[in-house]
Amino acid sequence: MNDNERTGSLPQRIFENSIVLIIIVVVWLFVPLYTKNLFLPSLFSILESFRDLALNGELWLDIVYSLRIVFAGLLIAASVAVVLGMLLGRFARLERYLDPTLQIMRNTPVLAILPVFILFLGIGDSSKIAIVIWATFFPTLLNTIQGAKNVDANLIRSAQSMGISSGGLFFKVILPAASPFILAGFRLSAGVAMIVIVAAEMVGAQHGLGFMIFNYQHSYQTSRMYVGILTLAIIGVFLNFGLVKLEKHLTRWQEKTQ
Amino acid sequence: MAADTNVVEISTAGLGLVYRKRQSARRGGDIYFPALKEVDLEVGKGEFLSLVGPSGCGKSTFLYILAGLHKQTSGAAYIGGEEITGPSLNRGIIMQAYALFPWRTIQKNVEFGLEVKGVPKPERQRIAREYIELVGLQEFADHFPYELSGGMKQRIAIARALAYDPDVLLMDEPFAAVDEQTRGFLHEELLRIWERTQKTIIFVTHSIDEAVLLSDRVAVMTPSPGTIRKIVDIPLPRPRTNALVNTEEFRKARNKVWQLLQTAGTATKEVKKEDGRVVLDTVLQEEVVF
Ligand SMILES: Nc1ncnc2c1ncn2[C@@H]1O[C@H](COP(=O)(O)OP(=O)(O)O)[C@@H](O)[C@H]1O
Ligand SMILES: [Mg+2]
Repeated sequence: MNDNERTGSLPQRIFENSIVLIIIVVVWLFVPLYTKNLFLPSLFSILESFRDLALNGELWLDIVYSLRIVFAGLLIAASVAVVLGMLLGRFARLERYLDPTLQIMRNTPVLAILPVFILFLGIGDSSKIAIVIWATFFPTLLNTIQGAKNVDANLIRSAQSMGISSGGLFFKVILPAASPFILAGFRLSAGVAMIVIVAAEMVGAQHGLGFMIFNYQHSYQTSRMYVGILTLAIIGVFLNFGLVKLEKHLTRWQEKTQ
Repeated sequence: MAADTNVVEISTAGLGLVYRKRQSARRGGDIYFPALKEVDLEVGKGEFLSLVGPSGCGKSTFLYILAGLHKQTSGAAYIGGEEITGPSLNRGIIMQAYALFPWRTIQKNVEFGLEVKGVPKPERQRIAREYIELVGLQEFADHFPYELSGGMKQRIAIARALAYDPDVLLMDEPFAAVDEQTRGFLHEELLRIWERTQKTIIFVTHSIDEAVLLSDRVAVMTPSPGTIRKIVDIPLPRPRTNALVNTEEFRKARNKVWQLLQTAGTATKEVKKEDGRVVLDTVLQEEVVF
């Protein structure tokens, strides 16, 4: 973005950012009233369904159910990935041992593993947490390895010259130096988590937004199906927005490149 | 202004380091590269000694050994009479690239060594403030390094090294990356700090002017593998300022160092040893006698 584009006045920016969305909303509100296609109901009836599902509590239950698994899986995966990534990034020997295995695991399509988890863990929470852990592990892991490898050797030398212990070096130098990579990886992981949880709930579940979409599609209650889809879109946008904000705050010490 | 240069602070005896570059047997096996050879040096307590020499002659390598970051392959180095076996807070190293921790504020950077040392928080905050003030940057205490100019960063790096009160400062081309004008200012600043804190300083530079202006003695190194060719006394009066560079005495001292640097180029050449190792060795091209 160059300076000219950035100096647009606030009302102009709001207009530029919202006009396309507004057109889509208007089209979606009115065009289906004429096409009368069951598969694409008007936003009016979707909003009605949204109100119904919100009032009878079903929507909130499904949201909580899905997000609980997403966060549990993400947190477990990220903690392990950060620790392992730091070690793999700093100890080339360890990486040589584990890299082939990790490459195979990472390149196996996530959903191909799902049936295995279901066999072992059933269709309850545990198989879903397991698949979220599996899927979200790799983006954070790979970024952490990258970050830990790229630490400026001068910073390490400088800390070592002050007699820092190897534990201190990890926590006070390598971890903070790698943190921009780690946070970017975590944001990728969060995106993957949302994809995977929906897919997993479609395959086998009794609750959750993925199940809800799948279920209403089967019973042709399409406006309720769209409620699920739009809810996921909104959650995705907020999640990403929050993580970007967090990332910006935690890496505010970096020179802004623009 | 050597505090007591009769007391030896740093000494090295037959110090040498051969780097080993690992290489597969197919490509001829490991290569041994002698970076430093037979360095014998004594630096007095409170002395300011500069080390000059062509780039790649092993100046940084020498400082890293003194800092305890690299291990020599022959000889020994001592600080305060004790053999150097690893890093310790009685030495501070200051590098050309500043090496400030970008995620820490200036205040927190200067506290780093004290933190490692286990100094309680209120005390290390006080000490850090004191040294930030010493280098005149108190209004930047809460800034991050990226917000400072190169010269300011180097002043903070100096404050960080001084804060844990080492006996010796090892400075590796600290002002090479700052502009001319700032460098002049930093020279006077460093001299002021040195006179005030009475540290022993080994200062690596490839600027002859800088070496002569700052030092009690200038050690001139040979090209790789580096050893000390000669040590030149700089008997210029102190305290010194940048104005000194226009004096005849300065020019004389400067010329002496310059001539030493011009002499007897040596080059390296790969030599195959009896046991099959490939070793880079020195070939003396000409020898100029003083
Ligand atoms: N870790 C290393 N492994 C192999 N060779 C090295 C290593 N570090 C430095 N060298 C080589 O040793 C020589 C001396 O390096 P250095 O001490 O950095 O020189 P200076 O600081 O005088 O420019 C150079 O030729 C350099 O390429
Ligand atoms: Mg160097």
